[in-house]
Amino acid sequence: MLPVLAFEGLTKSYGETVALRDVSFDVPGGQIFGLLGPNGAGKSTLIRILMDIIRPDAGAVRVFGEPRRRAHLDRLGYLPEERGLYKKLKVGEVMTYFGALKGLSRAEARRRALAWLERLELGHTVNWKIERLSKGMGQKVQIASVLMTDPELCVLDEPTTGLDPINVRLVLDLLGERRARGLSTILSTHHMNEVEAICDRVALIDRGRLMVYGAVDEVRRRYSLPEVRVGARGSLPVVPQVASAERETNGTWKLLLADGVAADAALAALIGAGAAIERFEPVLAPIEDIFLRVVREGQA
Amino acid sequence: MIRWRQARTVATFEFLSTVKRVGYLVTTFGMPVFIALYGVVVGVPVYFLEKNANKPVVYGVVDGAGVLRLEGETAAGAPPIPDDVRSALEAAGQGQALDRALVASQFVFRPYPGEADARRALVASEIKGYFVVPPDYMDTGVIDSYSSDVLSTRGSDSRSALATLLRERLLAGRVDARVAARVTTPVKEARRFNVTREGTVTDGGVAASVLRALVPILFMVLFLVSVMMSSGYLLQGTATEKENKVVEVLLSSANADEILAGKLVGLGGAGLLQIATWLVMVLVISVGVVPLVLSARVAVPWLALAVAIPFFPVAYLFFGSLMLGSGSLGSTMREAQQYAMVFSLMAVVPLMLMSLLITDPHGTVARVLTWIPFSAAPLVVLRASLDPAELAWWEIAGALAVLVVSTYGAIWLGARLFRIGLLAGGTRVKLRDVIRQARAGA
Repeated sequence: MLPVLAFEGLTKSYGETVALRDVSFDVPGGQIFGLLGPNGAGKSTLIRILMDIIRPDAGAVRVFGEPRRRAHLDRLGYLPEERGLYKKLKVGEVMTYFGALKGLSRAEARRRALAWLERLELGHTVNWKIERLSKGMGQKVQIASVLMTDPELCVLDEPTTGLDPINVRLVLDLLGERRARGLSTILSTHHMNEVEAICDRVALIDRGRLMVYGAVDEVRRRYSLPEVRVGARGSLPVVPQVASAERETNGTWKLLLADGVAADAALAALIGAGAAIERFEPVLAPIEDIFLRVVREGQA
Repeated sequence: MIRWRQARTVATFEFLSTVKRVGYLVTTFGMPVFIALYGVVVGVPVYFLEKNANKPVVYGVVDGAGVLRLEGETAAGAPPIPDDVRSALEAAGQGQALDRALVASQFVFRPYPGEADARRALVASEIKGYFVVPPDYMDTGVIDSYSSDVLSTRGSDSRSALATLLRERLLAGRVDARVAARVTTPVKEARRFNVTREGTVTDGGVAASVLRALVPILFMVLFLVSVMMSSGYLLQGTATEKENKVVEVLLSSANADEILAGKLVGLGGAGLLQIATWLVMVLVISVGVVPLVLSARVAVPWLALAVAIPFFPVAYLFFGSLMLGSGSLGSTMREAQQYAMVFSLMAVVPLMLMSLLITDPHGTVARVLTWIPFSAAPLVVLRASLDPAELAWWEIAGALAVLVVSTYGAIWLGARLFRIGLLAGGTRVKLRDVIRQARAGA
């Protein structure tokens, strides 16, 4: 898949503080890309540079295969972390305005706003003043304002924070639909379960450096211990390919393989020793563990 | 590079969302109503005072010297009213007002045989006061004036009227009637004419030249009010966006230049619409002034009106950009107003120097201020109005060029400050941050 976005050697400082240090990576098209990092890691700076809100000290941004120009902003959507709406105005007016800013005619923006409000079960609020909305409703209006323009690349910074589980699922489903239509989304979040559930690829930034980058499964494998989860009838035989075994509460076994032993070699050894194997799968490290490990190692 | 579609979108949104606000509508249409009500509250007592004042004011006279020889109540002559003012007032249908004004200025003197009679009349409020002309008046020129202990502003007018009456009576029968008339009223009317540099004689009466002084003053006041009103909307709009945290959403769709331009046009337009609405109301109400202008052959300062057309919007953009840019650096509305206040004060300078500028419209101060962008617009209008022949075309063109270039710079600077102010959110921006971020291009 061709990249829709490429950061090339981005560096940005605020006085003495270095926010980004030579950051380079691609975002393939038609995927949901997780942008991870602790607070103050440089994620927002990276996104602001992408959206041309601030300029980098060095490096370049390419979008849709071209050096980023202002005209590209109409094809980009952005939901910032620090966000809000005009409290004294009506929901429909605000959404129409945001749509018009992205190049839609006022009539088309209004039409799409109504359609998206209906879709998010907020159709009755179109003539409400924003201040009348609950926090969750307001957040859904903000997300709809971004998605209604069908941006080819959309950056959502913590879109689900503050939403109830039903609405979290709703938002994640919307992102899944975008992916199915070949549209790209960058999801900046601290909810690692969301990353595992929906993201195809991730980048982890810490203190301005790109620490981890790759497909989610590949990253999880890369940072996992040599462990496998095994379901078997009866007990497991002791084989030299397994360094230790731990019985889990649901009856499965978590085996730590000996140094240099591949999972398939351990499986062959267990079967050869008479084990009745029903299930055998590598134990992948949770993204949250990888996050904590990388950040702590960086601090150390 | 400004994408005008974005600027237009911002302008349309800002304009519509402002003019639909209840507060805006109340101010726009409520202000004239409020002023009208205020006028009624003030005007009603004044009307009744005026009504009473139209009655002739009676003073008593005890003529101990026998110089007045009054045989009954006698009126003193009213001060003359210039013919051009009289004809203009009559043409405007203000003849009755003129008559009232003439009557109001008349004093009637009632003779009393002795001071005791006059004093009784004063105590009984039959007269406003009385004068005693003592027997030795011809030698001393001294008279005594008596009035009630109630504060009155008519004392000097009544003494002046008595003096006129004394002059008439002292001269009567002693000198030729025409000489007596000129001694009593040496200048009945001074007709005024102006001679242009081409040698043409034109009407120079007060009524004829009133617009020449009025146009620059109106321009300055209107300009100041427009700048103040619009800057209020501009600062309020920006503060709202900071407070509502929509800044990054906007900046991800339009750059600071586009947002600034859109706000200037949209919110500035809302401010100008408000002023225009008030002006239209004033014009409709004062339609009766038109015959006054026509009959008095009022000289319309066409050059001043012509130069006002390009200077007003450019100067308006100049101030608006600077006030919006600097105001956006404030973390609160109050701070924003304080920053923007610097430029408000700059706009007031020509008004503060008005008396000097009217006295010498082409003096050094006026010429220097013509070339300073903060004062160029009102100065050019003032000089074009008061003495158009002395204002060279290159001064007009040069001042406009300076203002246009300065406005371009002001928009550029305003946009940089605006961007820095917006990105700072609710935090106070320090000068060194402004310089650093301006250098960094963000």
